[in-house]
Amino acid sequence: MWLEVRRELERVVGSEYVSSDPEVTFLYHWDFVTAEEPGVCDIVVMPGSTREVQEVVRLANKWRIPVVPWVSGVNIGGLATPRRGGIVVDLRRMNRILEVNEDDMYAVVEGGTTWGDLKGHLERHHPDLRPGVPWAPAGAGVVPCYLCYGFTDLSFMAGTGADFLNGLEVVLPTGEVVRTGSCMCTSYWHSRAPLPDLTGLFVGWDGATGIVTKAGVKLWPNLPTEYLILLADTVRDGVEAFKRVARKCTGILDMCFVNYTWLMSLLGYHEKEEDPLDPEEAGVQDFYGLIAVAASSEREMEAKKEAIEEAAGTGVLADLEAVMELFPEEARPQGYALVNPPIHFYNCWNYSYGGGGEWVGCYLSSRHVASYYRIAVSVAKKYGRHAQMYGRVMSGGHHWIARVNISFNKDDPSDIEAARRCLMEIDEKVRQLPSVVRYKAPSWAKERNFSRASPDSLELIKRVRRLLDPNGVMNPGHGL
Amino acid sequence: MGARSRLLAKLKAGEDIPGTGITLRRAPEQLELERRRPLSYYRRVLYFCGKCGQCRYVYQDAYWSRVCPSGELRKFEAYYLGGKNLLLWGLLSGKLEWTSKAAEILYHCTLCGNCVQQCQLPEIHNYALEWLHAARVEVVNRGLGPMPEHRRFGEWVRREHNPYMEPHSARLSWLGEKPKGKGEVTYFVGCTSSYRELEVAKAVVSLLKSSGVKFTLLEDEWCCGSPLYWTGQVDVVEELARHNARELEKTEAAVAVTSCAGCYRMLKQIYPEVYGVELSMEVLHISELLLKLVREGALQPERELSWAVTYHDPCHLGRHTGVYEAPRQLIGSIRGLELREMLRNRRNAWCCGAGAGVKSAFKQLASYAASERIREAEETGAQVLLTACPFCEMNLREAAEKAGSKIRVLDITQALSYSIKASRSEASQH
Ligand SMILES: Cc1cc2nc3c(=O)[nH]c(=O)nc-3n(C[C@H](O)[C@H](O)[C@@H](O)COP(=O)(O)OP(=O)(O)OC[C@H]3O[C@@H](n4cnc5c(N)ncnc54)[C@H](O)[C@@H]3O)c2cc1C
Ligand code: SF4
Ligand code: SF4
Repeated sequence: MWLEVRRELERVVGSEYVSSDPEVTFLYHWDFVTAEEPGVCDIVVMPGSTREVQEVVRLANKWRIPVVPWVSGVNIGGLATPRRGGIVVDLRRMNRILEVNEDDMYAVVEGGTTWGDLKGHLERHHPDLRPGVPWAPAGAGVVPCYLCYGFTDLSFMAGTGADFLNGLEVVLPTGEVVRTGSCMCTSYWHSRAPLPDLTGLFVGWDGATGIVTKAGVKLWPNLPTEYLILLADTVRDGVEAFKRVARKCTGILDMCFVNYTWLMSLLGYHEKEEDPLDPEEAGVQDFYGLIAVAASSEREMEAKKEAIEEAAGTGVLADLEAVMELFPEEARPQGYALVNPPIHFYNCWNYSYGGGGEWVGCYLSSRHVASYYRIAVSVAKKYGRHAQMYGRVMSGGHHWIARVNISFNKDDPSDIEAARRCLMEIDEKVRQLPSVVRYKAPSWAKERNFSRASPDSLELIKRVRRLLDPNGVMNPGHGL
Repeated sequence: MGARSRLLAKLKAGEDIPGTGITLRRAPEQLELERRRPLSYYRRVLYFCGKCGQCRYVYQDAYWSRVCPSGELRKFEAYYLGGKNLLLWGLLSGKLEWTSKAAEILYHCTLCGNCVQQCQLPEIHNYALEWLHAARVEVVNRGLGPMPEHRRFGEWVRREHNPYMEPHSARLSWLGEKPKGKGEVTYFVGCTSSYRELEVAKAVVSLLKSSGVKFTLLEDEWCCGSPLYWTGQVDVVEELARHNARELEKTEAAVAVTSCAGCYRMLKQIYPEVYGVELSMEVLHISELLLKLVREGALQPERELSWAVTYHDPCHLGRHTGVYEAPRQLIGSIRGLELREMLRNRRNAWCCGAGAGVKSAFKQLASYAASERIREAEETGAQVLLTACPFCEMNLREAAEKAGSKIRVLDITQALSYSIKASRSEASQH
């Protein structure tokens, strides 16, 4: 059968863009970073247009084989790992920026556009505009990030990646092409209002309800920005200071923090036995907050900084440059890069010099961020691991994200297994906090997400998925 | 924006890895590894790779332009650095078998090192070129490589000492009268200038003559070994190195100069570092020597050329040996030349696509990479694309001709020689 499937795919996209060679498919069977189980990629195909995506999906239905949308496979939840084999649809040939509307401040991008592609295009051709960008590598995809509720350097001001989407063009699991948002009935991609919000059918589903081939994404004015560092002794103190700032100050683009361990890993240091497993307990300063604030004039900037200082109350405020000067020269570049993501934060997965990393990331209430951290640290400590913590204040303070990263040796099956147990236990324990919902959740964590959902809600989700994908071909084993 | 640009400028500042033009990526606690070791030595470190894809883009510069000719042509993950790293790990770990397809992927690469420059993971940034080369040696040892075209020219080099299927006896056919006796400078011509890009060799000789420097050529020059070394056919390179070193020493010159970037890297870096073949003379690239001669007044490039030009950094000369400024300063010394940089320049320069055996075995890749560079050169509005290597020049010129581009591709020595000897009418024809 596979030979025939391959031939048909070749007819659609051309033989140079189809491969079933093990040396090529090997790169698509796993993300090569997380402790999630590898899958199987039988064939990888690279369509170049919406029509070709349609044809690929139709073939998948004809043969009843899985089809997995993929841009770079580095979502750190294993969400693009082909769980049931089949065709991986690598979308990276579809990486054009089709339009930038400067008046309404949006771009229309293809489904395989990466951060490098989008950021580069805007810097070069529309320097007065900027997108919201995660602290991810340049090769990661824009559309998957936004579809998976990614969070960016504009998330305090503008919310999750999903809020940045004005509309989509999607190839449904049955091959039809639909549009959502204003582009459904006009030639503009300016908003999702005031139509039925079909975009939600594709946001948060981990590529299980369709392949997005185009997206309208919001852009913002690229204003002069200053970067303030708020230092506090503990995560609890820092979170309280952030909450005060969120209530009182405007013009903030981003407000996020890292703990001591995350800071060390960002700056290029590596996991060592003698490092404190619980920095707070060891009396090490443990909250390093970054506040990015924009203003169009110096006077405005000074006034805003003053307001932030006053609101923060406790905690020491300094600018990023001054703080980085405190570190040895070789540790500074990564810190500087934070102001211009995408960044190459390789110690997200190589902190232990083992090439492996995975995180338990949650959306949650500000009330539970500090407890989340304490729980994660205590579980990690039990496993002898250092918890790298990172949190972000979202949507002007309406909710937060918190994420704890655990490093391991991906070349050692027993270490992978141990890391997995640690991650699962962190997941299990932080869920006891009432507001916690996992994001970019691997399938086991996704099931836990819904354990408290009402049967009717669950049934609705299943019904929607069945409706959209009657043959169950789209990214099976992911979503719910 | 003030704070951001200030911080980014600091981010970009950096030194070079000694002897190369790739920035030394210093991070706390990074591992120090040995160079020139067999592939298996690097197994652990190459698996630090997270397949994240940063190595496809210039990092924090040049509008995040793409950098990898191999990946941009073939698109699949396996053809980028991240893919190659993990593929190698799979092969070394028994997850994949060594096959001719694996060999094809590993050879489908110009070893240009642009990806390596962009990956910030320090151990990959500082050492990936070691394992990309070691992988080829491994493929040859396993009998899966080199590619048939490489084997063919490898055999020819053993026989006739050049990879162009030409007779050794014709090596100096471009030269009228051979300089007699010993000289202060020895010109190591290289196979490409001897057999294909004769104008480059002629320009060099004419410039050396004009400068009044006493120069000579080798009595019996052989291929420097670059095409063999980079295609993993390392067994014969030491013999070539020793032969050429003996011939060079015979001239008793103080300086050996090459017009080919590949020869330069061999003489300057690979002979001593890999084979312990140290030359008693200084090794210079022609751009360095000519700049010196211009500065000393021995050459006076006074005839105005009135060209807008752009400059292509050969990988062997730029990223691999760190010579970025001499060619630019030489261009700056020629009256009337206006240098317009391409977006991807110096460390981030897009490769011409010819090197490491690609031009012979992967013609599509060589032609794709060169046409992409021609397009970029055209974007600058330059009339002339200058480079400092006859092999780059040949590949770029062929691509320009194929694309019907108006841009003229020349070696930097040709431009300099026009400015010295050409009449105004001759120069304005170009
Ligand atoms: C070091 C590091 C740091 C990171 N930091 C952040 C951060 O700060 N914030 C953040 O939000 N993320 C972060 N990420 C995660 C990552 O950047 C984002 O999740 C996102 O950009 C992933 O892109 P991708 O191309 O890898 O997606 P993939 O892994 O290829 O895809 C992700 C999911 O989307 C689906 N999908 C892909 N393309 C489509 C499409 N066109 N249509 C429908 N479904 C599709 C896939 O099937 C999969 O389920 C980080 C990642 C790394 C490695
Ligand atoms: S080589 Fe470096 S940049 Fe490239 S995928 Fe690997 S870690 Fe990322
Ligand atoms: S060395 Fe050059 S061609 Fe080879 S993978 Fe790196 S960028 Fe691509």
